[in-house]
Amino acid sequence: MIWREKRVLLIVLGLLLLANTLFFFTYRVQYVSRLQDLDARQEQAEAQLDQARNARVTAEQQLAAYKKVQADLQVLYNERWSTPMQRLTALIDEVKRLAAASHLQPPSYSFTTGESKQVSTVPSTKGSVGTTTVGIAFTVQGTYEQVRRLINLLELSDQFVIIDAISLGANGTATDKVLTLNIRLKTLFKDVRTTAPAANRQL
Amino acid sequence: MKPIHLNLAARPFRDYRPVYAAVVIMALLTAFLALNNVDTFLRYRTETKTTRANIAKLEQQIADEQRRTESFAQRLRGVDLKLLASQTEFANAQLAERAFSWSELLDRLERVLPTDVRLLSVAPSFEKDGLVHLSMTCIAKTGEGLTATINRFNGDQHFANAFPASETLNGTEYHITLGVDYRPSIARRVE
Repeated sequence: MIWREKRVLLIVLGLLLLANTLFFFTYRVQYVSRLQDLDARQEQAEAQLDQARNARVTAEQQLAAYKKVQADLQVLYNERWSTPMQRLTALIDEVKRLAAASHLQPPSYSFTTGESKQVSTVPSTKGSVGTTTVGIAFTVQGTYEQVRRLINLLELSDQFVIIDAISLGANGTATDKVLTLNIRLKTLFKDVRTTAPAANRQL
Repeated sequence: MKPIHLNLAARPFRDYRPVYAAVVIMALLTAFLALNNVDTFLRYRTETKTTRANIAKLEQQIADEQRRTESFAQRLRGVDLKLLASQTEFANAQLAERAFSWSELLDRLERVLPTDVRLLSVAPSFEKDGLVHLSMTCIAKTGEGLTATINRFNGDQHFANAFPASETLNGTEYHITLGVDYRPSIARRVE
């Protein structure tokens, strides 16, 4: 009888208590679960960020490496090898100067030119490497010391000159010590006829 | 004597104490749970807000990184890698030839060649492993010049794989052609 008289209050209180109890248990459980989900998502996002960052760093380093190679090639092609117009006469003068410094007098010089060829290991490479090879051959007669001095001076020259081959021959009797040196030099020039090398293209 | 029962109450007497007790207990429990739930809810909001913000920030960073990676990849696609590799290989080969020291080679040949053998010509070719293959022509005064030369090359650490190509008697001299691998002090790998 007394419960029935206060039933409205009791029902309201009971409902509130039930709702709070349900909320307490279910929300608590979901709360932890949701937090774990969010933590998992955060960890996943962090892993993805690391992955993306590594990919970016790899691509950046690769690009930087290519840029450096291109820059080095550009310096080599444009400054060290240059064009015949800029460097050929200086090279000839240098060779003559070094021969004179070795007290050798070549009676003649022969010059050859041709497109540089390469036995490439790079598969399906088409086109030239963008250089012209110029050969300078001459013969001198002198003592072994003079010959060695000429070779040494050519090696130390600032010009990009390569001693391609040498041949020595004895001249006269064994006592006069005069040798005949045939020397073949070569150098490279940037090919002005073809388009600029990859080195000249900006990334 | 019969007792007199006086009932002066306007309403019938009810004992509500159990009801009030139940109401108080229920109200206390509800209040406790409600406070706890509000606290939990607020804490959840706060904590998830921070985490969600972190996740959003991370996703933004991922998108930025991917955009930058794509930008680099696009620039890399513009590079003619085959031509670059070809030119690099060629340039390295030329630099290796330029760095080759003829003076050092001649010094070593002076030491290694037998006294009755004279160098006539030498032409190097550059191998990928840093070795230099020498094609040589020599003149020997005796028939033992060829074997003596090969033995001397085999005994020197800077030379290897000496192998004759020909030996021709020309008057009193023997013309010898042979090939030998030479390892310079500073070997430049042609890559």
